[in-house]
Amino acid sequence: MSRVAVVGVGHSRFGRRTDVNLGELAFESIKQAVDDAGVDRGDIGNVVVGSAGGWYEESLPAVVVGEYAGLSGAGTMRVEAACASGSAAVKAAYNSIVSGETDVAMAVGVEKMTEVDTPTSVELIGRAGSYMWEFENYGMTFPAYYALYAVAHMNRFGTTEEDLSRVSVKAHHYGAMNPLAQFQKEITLEKALSSQVVSWPLKLYDACPLSDGSAAVVLAAEETAKKLTDTPIWIRGVGYSSDTANLSRRDDYVGLRAAVRAAANAYAMAKVSPGDIDVATAHDCFTIAELMAYEDLGFCKKGEAAKMIREGQTEVGGKIPVNLDGGLKAKGHPIGATGVSMAVEITKQLRGEAGRRQANIRNGVGLVHNIGGTGHYAYVTILSRG
Amino acid sequence: MDENPYLHSRRALHLRFDIPILKTKEFWDMLRQGKLVTTKCLKCGNVSFPPQADCPKCMGSESEWVDLGTDATLVTFTHVKITPASFAEDGTYTIAIAQLKSGLKVLAWLEGVGAETVKPGMGLRIEARAGTGGSPYYVFVPA
Repeated sequence: MSRVAVVGVGHSRFGRRTDVNLGELAFESIKQAVDDAGVDRGDIGNVVVGSAGGWYEESLPAVVVGEYAGLSGAGTMRVEAACASGSAAVKAAYNSIVSGETDVAMAVGVEKMTEVDTPTSVELIGRAGSYMWEFENYGMTFPAYYALYAVAHMNRFGTTEEDLSRVSVKAHHYGAMNPLAQFQKEITLEKALSSQVVSWPLKLYDACPLSDGSAAVVLAAEETAKKLTDTPIWIRGVGYSSDTANLSRRDDYVGLRAAVRAAANAYAMAKVSPGDIDVATAHDCFTIAELMAYEDLGFCKKGEAAKMIREGQTEVGGKIPVNLDGGLKAKGHPIGATGVSMAVEITKQLRGEAGRRQANIRNGVGLVHNIGGTGHYAYVTILSRG
Repeated sequence: MDENPYLHSRRALHLRFDIPILKTKEFWDMLRQGKLVTTKCLKCGNVSFPPQADCPKCMGSESEWVDLGTDATLVTFTHVKITPASFAEDGTYTIAIAQLKSGLKVLAWLEGVGAETVKPGMGLRIEARAGTGGSPYYVFVPA
């Protein structure tokens, strides 16, 4: 089984992108990734496109994106794992190399969420669970899903609304250093705490925005990777799991079982432990999700996530810096692009190319935690220099 | 940025789904009569909620209808302030997950209680509601 490395990365500006359509938006990342890898497009045997879709006009995003970027002819498909579609695309591209099908593959994540009006986008995301039993009569929203977890976590462990807001303040702090982020302004704890309640206890500043954006990675088998670059970033562990559509069928609401299982699988495959991780991205679609991620990934003990954020343990210089790109909260969350964007960020961090928001890299190991829905899908990917 | 030119598509798409309920018809019929029932697998005895004709535990496809029970304990909740477009006329509402004595959990609206007094652990009861257009549903109310 060949080792697989990230050999090229690309990332568009995230935000409300009324200047580009779907293909044009994806092209921005694809072009950068192809140039960064120094690969001939004809050598890319498989192009996997992560996109949830439904809010833009195209039904077959993979072929539209492929045609626009001159990639028609390669094997392709669109994959969907809700907000983890990007990581699912990376995994599918990775598998096509590990299996020996192709030497070079690409994962593209792309989403355009602002071509429909905001209520329609909110409605579509709110259906991301069990439509029949949670939406039809009860109007679940995406914030409501995570709010159910936030209330349980607060009730069990004494996590507070201030702790949630601290995650948002950190996200905006690093987002201000990321020129591709949707929001590049610092915020205060008071501003976050006094923002409009969306689904109590979650407020506007606990929630990621609706975003347009794309990201791309070129992956290559070991021998090809070494020819293409002096700084291959190896995919060492790929863990994944899922959970029930209906939240009522879950055991508990203080963590995501799928994330715990995905993390265990990824750590075992990579033969590393949480203490080896130099830098991570955690899926902070809502602030409570980042806190649960600290616990689900074993960065701290169950119930101690609030302590970690209060003590600054997930900032640069702390135990494990998390979301130095601004996270979903400040960088933006174009659903299908997010997982690929995370892989781009960790690759840049491990290459030492993250500029002002560079983490201190000691072991050369980084982690991507990408969740679809409310732990309906979970993907954990571990990358390393060596 | 919003002054960028765009093509406002003329081909609007309206989606409304006709969802088959033949295999859970008993649930909806009983709910219309004010009673909550669910499925119990005849092969392995597993009780499911939401009801499903095919057992997710043993994959058996023969089941019987049993009482769901009405007494529950609140596990978690949220007050939804920003609602989906299709719920625009419902105002704000409280969504709860509560556990029945059988151990099964149910997600539904919690009605008849002030927002400030909702606490995990409080006793609740499930009640059927007629709904509009012959589409019944169920809610939690304080015990």
